[in-house]
Amino acid sequence: MTRWFEETDQMYDVFVLNRLRLVRNVEGHVFPSRLSHEERSEMLAFLEEKVLPLMAEDGQPYAYCHLNELDADHRNALYERRVINHSRVEDKEPAGLALSPDEAVSLVLNGEDHLRLQLLSSSQSLENLWPVLSELDDEVGERVSYAFDQKYGYLTSFLTNVGTGLRASVVVHLPMLSHGSQFRKLIQEYSRFGISIKGLAGDSNENYGGLYEVKNQKTLGQTEEELIGLVSQAAGQLAAQERKVKSLALRSHHLQLEDEVYKSYGVLKYARKLSYKEGMTYLSQLRLGLCENLIKLERPVNLFGLMLHIRPANLRLNRAEDLEGDALDEARAQYIRQNLPRLG
Amino acid sequence: MLCERCKIREANIRYTEVVGGVATEHNLCSHCAKEIDFGQYTGLASLFDSEYPIGKILSQLLGLGDGREKEQAEEMASLVCPTCKTTYGDFVNNSQFGCPDCYHMFDLLISDKLKQLHGSDTHTGKRPAGFCQGEEEDVLEKPLSDIEQIGILRSKLKEAVEEEDYEAAAGYRDAIHALEGKLAEGRDER
Ligand SMILES: [Zn+2]
Ligand SMILES: [Zn+2]
Repeated sequence: MTRWFEETDQMYDVFVLNRLRLVRNVEGHVFPSRLSHEERSEMLAFLEEKVLPLMAEDGQPYAYCHLNELDADHRNALYERRVINHSRVEDKEPAGLALSPDEAVSLVLNGEDHLRLQLLSSSQSLENLWPVLSELDDEVGERVSYAFDQKYGYLTSFLTNVGTGLRASVVVHLPMLSHGSQFRKLIQEYSRFGISIKGLAGDSNENYGGLYEVKNQKTLGQTEEELIGLVSQAAGQLAAQERKVKSLALRSHHLQLEDEVYKSYGVLKYARKLSYKEGMTYLSQLRLGLCENLIKLERPVNLFGLMLHIRPANLRLNRAEDLEGDALDEARAQYIRQNLPRLG
Repeated sequence: MLCERCKIREANIRYTEVVGGVATEHNLCSHCAKEIDFGQYTGLASLFDSEYPIGKILSQLLGLGDGREKEQAEEMASLVCPTCKTTYGDFVNNSQFGCPDCYHMFDLLISDKLKQLHGSDTHTGKRPAGFCQGEEEDVLEKPLSDIEQIGILRSKLKEAVEEEDYEAAAGYRDAIHALEGKLAEGRDER
């Protein structure tokens, strides 16, 4: 089964990934963080009994596992593929994960909140995803009674999620715009409107690969549709700016850009070792070249998928080897060489 | 300390008056505080708001501490949710609540935090199917739990204090004390 990040239709665009997630809790039950190990096991069993039959009805075979029984690489790999959040990597307490075969739909039981429902898609808009997630939410809500308050809405473990419990995000590829001197200022401006923009890969000082995640900061006081509209609008504005900067750059620096794209392809196709940062940087350049038709490949390839596959834990799992340092960089270069199509 | 105006009742409202750059402290009972028309004093009413944020006045009304701030803060921090044993101090440290009841228990204390985070403290989005819209219907269908009642009383208390209706506030405070006593007894029995 092809996973959502391996699909190869409609992908050479500024928009990379749309994501919606809801957190919910069960009325009359203490939140997982406050439970003892035994109580947490009991809570998980309760949630499994109530919610898992629903996933079985969905038509596609969901995989189910206990996150606390997976080793660190498996948990990290799920985190790298955006299935679970970072707190699930660290926490060793009983928690469950139900995952659709394409990894687009996931349900975490007994994490920071009793339930976390998530949809990922590289082709469907947030507006199209919302009714799907809302319906799943309603179906789960028929099986467990949600902790809901007339005034505060859905009650969550963290105040940052209370109300709608909704996080809507769009990952955009901004290789040109993010190099501009005004980019930091632009990000600050958006935060005034309740929009947070963060680099998807890299560290606090540096972003690798020009990928940025645009998401809502607030969850209370606005409807789900309003929050989604806000994120869509912000992502749309950034995409429009990126396209504008790209077309200007193409007119004034066509040869330079074309050269950078081909050089990047060359490095990706022939390098014998690549760090994560190098891999991300050259894949980003290549993606820009494909978006702008500066380069042609023999067959389409999902470069964002490639970016996920070359992250450390996924690479180690793929090779079934405990690789570190140079050996990991060597495996990364090899993985890219094997999966990058020839020039078309 | 006795109220400086009537010299009969215990003073439970304290405020600082600043005239010509000199600050004078006043101690009044809730009854006399209600009688005073702050508008008569230059800038006093606004000072009352800014110098004494609602939380501090409330903690005095709630009988928390004798006016010394540190002690008050400690008492606030030790407010505990009867269901999950999360204290307000835990919440401040981890910014995490322990159960749905915490929202009723710490109702008053989180409103400002919510407004700071979300620019609002009221949900307007979707509701679970079958969730009753009206509060009255709710009461008819299912009696409110003690914790829910405390939550409601606390917000009424806050409103009363905001409207400077100190007699009503005292009534709410007593009712809250009674319910809290009942909850504590219930716990001891278990
Ligand atoms: Zn008096
Ligand atoms: Zn609690």
